[in-house]
Amino acid sequence: MSVVAPENTPVWVDESRCKACDICVSVCPAGVLAMELEPSSTLGAMVRIKHPESCTGCINCELNCPDFAIFVAEKNEYKFAKLNDDAKARQEAIIANKYRYPGN
Amino acid sequence: MAYNYDKFLRLEKMPTLWCWGCGDGVILKAVIRAIEKCGWKQDDVVVVSGIGCSGRFSSYVDFNTVHTTHGRTVAFATGIKMANPDKHVICVAGDGDALAIGGNHTIHACRRNIDINFIMINNFIYGLTNSQTSPTTPQGMWTVSQKAGNIDPTFDGCNLAIASGASFVGRETMLDPRKLEKLLVKGFQHRGFSFFDIMSNCHVNLGRKNKMLSAMENLDWIDKITAPINRYEKLSDEEKLNTFPTGVLKHDEKAREYCDMYEDIKAVHQKKRKVISQDDFEKKI
Repeated sequence: MSVVAPENTPVWVDESRCKACDICVSVCPAGVLAMELEPSSTLGAMVRIKHPESCTGCINCELNCPDFAIFVAEKNEYKFAKLNDDAKARQEAIIANKYRYPGN
Repeated sequence: MAYNYDKFLRLEKMPTLWCWGCGDGVILKAVIRAIEKCGWKQDDVVVVSGIGCSGRFSSYVDFNTVHTTHGRTVAFATGIKMANPDKHVICVAGDGDALAIGGNHTIHACRRNIDINFIMINNFIYGLTNSQTSPTTPQGMWTVSQKAGNIDPTFDGCNLAIASGASFVGRETMLDPRKLEKLLVKGFQHRGFSFFDIMSNCHVNLGRKNKMLSAMENLDWIDKITAPINRYEKLSDEEKLNTFPTGVLKHDEKAREYCDMYEDIKAVHQKKRKVISQDDFEKKI
């Protein structure tokens, strides 16, 4: 997967490198990411981009990913949102639900 | 476009063989970013690594790399630096490599203050060989070799480096890659021995038997036992015992670098050398 951002995408994942370690989900401030069941993956889970519209472009997930698997667009490629209370609450719910999306 | 790590990596080796959530990958990324920030060319950087999970470091990066024997990382790196003083040498070792089998090499490289950037990845256990006690294992923790709890006191790598005379000593965790990158840039630009103690997680071989089942739980524990140097100084003596300060612990810019001193010695000896003229030479014959 290339490092050039696909059109209108703030954050994207190279699924062949991801090992489903939950780190990116835990460091996201805005509840953009969540783990989902994926039987073909190493640990039976895979990270999914659930709310791309709330991404603030803080690149925490990119910096903390140990496997070079997650990429964030630059500020000139995508108009990032500002951090709001909804996003913060969603992030807390995701962490409380063991990094899975609430309801899953 | 996202940050392009691929040009510094050997893509045929990807994905890495490290466990899910291993801190070594985060440190590898921080090192790559720090090297780019220093403006070093790929051909001018030498990465030397030893044995252990950290030993795989050199196989993933596309610099001049040497994968050496157990504990002898600094010995090889010293040779490389002496022969190529214009190259930037980065040495990567685990806690066993740096403090146990290679402890003596570490001490003397610190003492010489040779311009090597020594990165000690400290995961508190011998991870590759399945959880034996390492010098940095905290007291009371379960290991394969001490199943009732480790009784050996914990070794502080930074204190050792300061006492042996390294001119730059810093500690950071992989929890905050931005801080880690800053520390690495500062150390890389420093001329002299730079010792980094970078705390990393091993939730597979340390955490599994010590109530830290996931990478996140292990990282939370690391967060608990470390404190930035400003906050650390305000702690009481009792709290200081179980806490490691992070940040730049020593930065001595005046200490002389070993390769510079070696150049001086070379100049002295070259002056002493007798230059025999052609006539003298013929007379001798």
